[in-house]
Amino acid sequence: MTEVSCETGVELLMDYLEGVVPDDMRSILESHVTGCPKCAAFIASYLATPRILREATAATMPPELQQSLLAFLRAHRGDLPRKPD
Amino acid sequence: MARMTAPEEATDEALVLRAALGDNDAFDEITIRYQARVYRLACRLVGHDDAPDVVQEGFLSVYRNLASFRQESRFGTWLYRIVTNAALMHRRARARRPVESLDAFLPEFDATGSHSHTPPELQVAARADELLDRQVLAAEATAALDRLPDLYRSAFVLRDLEELSTAEVADVLGVEPATVRQRVHRARLMLRGYLGALAGVRS
Repeated sequence: MTEVSCETGVELLMDYLEGVVPDDMRSILESHVTGCPKCAAFIASYLATPRILREATAATMPPELQQSLLAFLRAHRGDLPRKPD
Repeated sequence: MARMTAPEEATDEALVLRAALGDNDAFDEITIRYQARVYRLACRLVGHDDAPDVVQEGFLSVYRNLASFRQESRFGTWLYRIVTNAALMHRRARARRPVESLDAFLPEFDATGSHSHTPPELQVAARADELLDRQVLAAEATAALDRLPDLYRSAFVLRDLEELSTAEVADVLGVEPATVRQRVHRARLMLRGYLGALAGVRS
């Protein structure tokens, strides 16, 4: 049976996760990872990376910015002046 | 927000149509509905300092282009495209000092193509959020996104942080899904290595 290196496995990881590698390559990759603790550890950190960055960059819009955005857009649209909400 | 006579909430597309016909209240409603998401996206694409400008430019651009919105496409995708472009223009317009790239954080292999590091080293990035102070991580995460090449940043932010599908990101960026996968993958590899290094281990 054909084998792949860790490096090839890493190269194909995204395509594997998105289901776009051919079936035969899919099973070759799976069998490599099953027997490779390094790849298993690598994949765990690869999968965690988006989640960690997503949580670390989830900014909340300050309320004063929400108000100033509406005012800015109304001014640029040439709306008639309004009373504050 | 909740009205006593709660009528059916208008769809995005219906609001865009009304706004295009001159109903500015409909445009306000679109703004209110999407501003938090657009702000978060802008922060991820240009950082917190420049995000307010990009949000303003983005919504203004939406307003000016209301007539060109095609009702067959999803408003959300169209909006993301406009804001992503506004962010890119903004970055190009600003004379930024060159930042060190993240290439050094790509995974390392030995001559046989095996990982050069041990399993605990390879896994450490997965624990970056436990090992690092939350505020430090937030600052470092923003700095790391800033260090990605533009093409990788937009693909990664849309796919992995805003959680659009690969097909949607391809639509927003006007590229093939295979190109999105390649850019997102590359960004994940760099950021993974960077998180590991922050947590104290090169891998």
